[in-house]
Amino acid sequence: MAITLESTIAEDLREFPGEQVTDFKSGNEMAAISAKHIDFHLMGYYPITPSTEIAENLDAMRSEGEHEIVMIAADGEHGAAGICYGAATGGGRVFNATSSQGLLYSLEQLPVQSGTRFPMLLDIATRAISGPLDIRGDHSDIYFALNAGWLIFLARDPQAVYDMNIIALRCGERPEVQLPSIVAFDGFFTSHQKRRVQYFADPQVVRDYLGPVPDRVTSLDPRNPVTIGPYMNDPDLINNKYQHKLAMDAAETVIASEFAAYGKLSGRRYEMVDLYRMEDADVALFLLNSAAETAKDVADSLRNEGIRAGVVSPNVIRPFPASRIRNALSRVKALVIGERADSYGAHGGNIGHEVKSALKDDPENHTICLDRIYGIGGRDFYAEDAEALFRLAIETAEAGRSEVPYDYYGVVAKVHPKVRLRLPAISAEETTTGGLIKVEPDAGGRLRVETPPAWRLAARPKSVAPGHSACPGCGIFPALNTFFSGLGGDIVVLYQTGCAMVVSTGYPYSSHRVTYIHNLFQNGAATLGGLVEMFHERVRRGELPSGEDITFVMVSGDGGMDIGTGAALGAAVRNHGFILIEYDNEGYMNTGAQLSYSTPLGHMTSTSHIGPAQNGKAFHHRDMVQIMAATNIPYIFTGIEGFPDDLVAKGAKAQWYANHEGMAYGKVLISCPLNWRAEDREGVEIVQAAVDSCFFPLYEIEHGCTTITYDPEAVGRRVPVADWLRRMGKTRHLIRPANAGLLAEIEAEVERRWRRLKAMDENPLL
Amino acid sequence: MTPPADTGAPVDGDGRAIAGAGPDGFFGVRFESIGGLGAHLAGQILAESGVLCAGLNGSHFSSYGSEKKGSPLQSYVRFCEAGREIRRSDPIERPQVVVVFHQALVASGNVTAGLVPYGTIILNTTVDPGEMYGKLGIGAATVGTVDALAISVEESTRVNTAMMGAAARACPFIDPEAIRKTLAGRLGHRYPELVEANLRSFDRGYDEIRFKSFAGASTGAEPGPSGQEPVRVAPSYGYLEAPPGGVILQPGSTVVRNLSASREGFVAQFDPGKCTDCGICDAVCPDICFVWEVEPDGLGEGAVHLSGIDYHYCKGCLKCTEQCPTGALTVIREEDGWAEANRIPLYPWLETEAAL
Repeated sequence: MAITLESTIAEDLREFPGEQVTDFKSGNEMAAISAKHIDFHLMGYYPITPSTEIAENLDAMRSEGEHEIVMIAADGEHGAAGICYGAATGGGRVFNATSSQGLLYSLEQLPVQSGTRFPMLLDIATRAISGPLDIRGDHSDIYFALNAGWLIFLARDPQAVYDMNIIALRCGERPEVQLPSIVAFDGFFTSHQKRRVQYFADPQVVRDYLGPVPDRVTSLDPRNPVTIGPYMNDPDLINNKYQHKLAMDAAETVIASEFAAYGKLSGRRYEMVDLYRMEDADVALFLLNSAAETAKDVADSLRNEGIRAGVVSPNVIRPFPASRIRNALSRVKALVIGERADSYGAHGGNIGHEVKSALKDDPENHTICLDRIYGIGGRDFYAEDAEALFRLAIETAEAGRSEVPYDYYGVVAKVHPKVRLRLPAISAEETTTGGLIKVEPDAGGRLRVETPPAWRLAARPKSVAPGHSACPGCGIFPALNTFFSGLGGDIVVLYQTGCAMVVSTGYPYSSHRVTYIHNLFQNGAATLGGLVEMFHERVRRGELPSGEDITFVMVSGDGGMDIGTGAALGAAVRNHGFILIEYDNEGYMNTGAQLSYSTPLGHMTSTSHIGPAQNGKAFHHRDMVQIMAATNIPYIFTGIEGFPDDLVAKGAKAQWYANHEGMAYGKVLISCPLNWRAEDREGVEIVQAAVDSCFFPLYEIEHGCTTITYDPEAVGRRVPVADWLRRMGKTRHLIRPANAGLLAEIEAEVERRWRRLKAMDENPLL
Repeated sequence: MTPPADTGAPVDGDGRAIAGAGPDGFFGVRFESIGGLGAHLAGQILAESGVLCAGLNGSHFSSYGSEKKGSPLQSYVRFCEAGREIRRSDPIERPQVVVVFHQALVASGNVTAGLVPYGTIILNTTVDPGEMYGKLGIGAATVGTVDALAISVEESTRVNTAMMGAAARACPFIDPEAIRKTLAGRLGHRYPELVEANLRSFDRGYDEIRFKSFAGASTGAEPGPSGQEPVRVAPSYGYLEAPPGGVILQPGSTVVRNLSASREGFVAQFDPGKCTDCGICDAVCPDICFVWEVEPDGLGEGAVHLSGIDYHYCKGCLKCTEQCPTGALTVIREEDGWAEANRIPLYPWLETEAAL
């Protein structure tokens, strides 16, 4: 830690006014506790590993009545950033947390917020950026924020997450700074590791330290109208940016003095740059965050060998504490800068260049700097790794020069892999439905389908092979394989980010027997639209054989239809010839069951907890089927797992439309036993109950005409909504007498949507 | 159980070293489990009890990826004396104690890796310590076994609380009462109705575990790790070998995996005599493990027959047993070796090619 050792001992805290509680918490937990103590007005967020737990923890606290921060589950990180920006213009305190691609997706909003000078706090549990997709912690995300104009603090351990959050907000709000602040800590290493920590016993101490929000322009003062974000070209913009630069300059002074003030309050004293045994160091490592801590242990052991080793690690990188780094390194002979991210083609990572640039301003400095990219993708950093980097510095110091100033540490040239087994491509004979399935347009402009019983399709090759790592009882693959068994011919699939993607493509294995593409879930529909048009264009140019059609299928979870709504609607409006199939398990199950817009009212998720102050999700599920219907694509359907007679026929129809007329969209309800809190074996019954209760009607819309394909009322199988809800742990609370009002509200909405659907079924014009 | 003698761990300041800690002063506990059994929570509770109740410093974390329920998982607890700062975040490679939640991992995993000489390994199994020691193939160690699955079934809890009780015996520097209190506090907040059963599970794990110490083969030299040497995950390809862009050129290659360790003790048994080949099991199976045979029926159309289940892919969800209309698929408690003996390989040629 960046704090002096004696200050960690509880007895010594007596001299500090802010009484402390000792606890055992992770970085994400400390982020949530700090947010509660700060008492933000509002948090706008979108879940992404590994920062998701921050919103989850805050939601759990909220359900217990521990705070009243407004928590807004956005439609994506770009939306979350917009929510936060809008809220920040309103004058209150605003919080957000993200990681990796979430930061990149919101990146466009960051300079807007800093350039118009509205402070807020953004926590980043750092993580590798795609692609390929890696969920573990490196610094490639935070490097993209270096030019965003925000203050950037680093938190090397869970304790620092709490402290830095408070300090960073305070610094950003100072009138001479007035900038938003990022606090970045290592994904998993810090976000998920529990350590012994301390925080203020009385949150009021934190609130007193922060004080009231300083006066600044606000959008919520109609008596004093202001124009925020004008159109400003040259010659004004450069002066605006110079103001921004001056604010950054001022921040360096402000941060140093706030570190001192906070140290006096808490007993935990941070410096702009954390210097460990640097007084007389000959060799040193420069590292960000948790790896620097590991290196300190190694510096100790090297000192026992008589080697004067030290560690430099900044607690702030925006503003970059160049002069302090310059001073700290003035007598160091060799420095290895370890970076968990590269700047491709720049002959070194971003921070390495900034360190070297800081030293260049000291004409007396003779430190030899080596830049080593390490720990990419969250690779563990062991003591022996730190030692290897120190040895490199020692050799360099002894040689007096560096042979290779910039390189990667920890790469492997060859492992001589065994020949990897594979399944053969599905043959043309196997892909044919061979007369098993017949699809023909009827006189009324709809399709007539004949499908065989389930057993006839059981032996057909499936596009997904076994050996995937989905949870036991997962409904995704039974539903997809059933759906795909209604399709014939060649298929290319695009999976958006989600459970199905993660469990079927863990490198170096793939479960996919057909060509598969992944793109992040805000953009899959656009990506597949592009591919479909490329296919047709290459056929037109004679580069691909004509007459051999490929069916393109996009697979998304319900989460992907939240963040990817825009891309899906765009593709639908353009009517690209592909099938978009959404498996809906009523939440963001891949990241630990956060609410999605498909989560129904009252359901418990990890961002819609149940407690004295909150009763599950606060708003109704979105009707994506009807939203897609409004784009007037030729074919739309719903389905469930475990009802092959229905879903196979819809697959066959969807393929016909995708290959003849344009886009087909289907939403398939599948079970997630783990996060629905049900037995693994009960999924089929649960989704059947969802259908029989009319919560999830089975129907299709062909050329705008709605047909209910299974009417539980007509066959005498309709059950009360409660019969469906009592089957799942996530909804059992809704059956309790105390929640009768909420249940009635759910029943009324189910009934309203069902009656409307019945009317549409009965009238071709609706 | 007697923990091994003090190894002479360094003591910082006026703090006390933990008996049995390694030369680096740390006492490491590694939980080996599959997702869904509660090993992560067990590690948290043990660590929290040590830090907040036993006057130690400690840290806890688990192996993280996008692994789902049923996939292998490690949970790590590191203890040291209170005055020492914990700076490292690396996984525990040389644990003093290994706690195995799921016996199937002994065959498929590397659970003993790095176990220190005279370390303790605790397993959830019906097998006694002597027989288990033989299966583990390790050096000097104390082996503890407890039938946590039976306890969990009888007490209607997960296996993790019984295993926590068992693990507490290997951490005598923490008062078990402290762990009970931490456990009750964690559960009691949201699920007060579960506290009593889980405390009973904990107590039974603590009381019912049987330990036996083994000297191992004496080599005369300084003993190495009791278990296998720790192995770090190696890349699948080197940068001179991997196809650029991370593309995977082998379709359907997950078929080489054996997911048997995902089953939690129950499995579907197939009775061909009762099967009408209706295909419903295939339509509801998440794991694509039913093996079909197509027989020409003289009319040019294939008749499809279910020949069995490839248990390498079956994760034991039992959906098929729930949906089978004829009773041809039923639930049985899985005995060691049963699935392998009754398995019908979906891709018999894979075994031949893998052997080549």
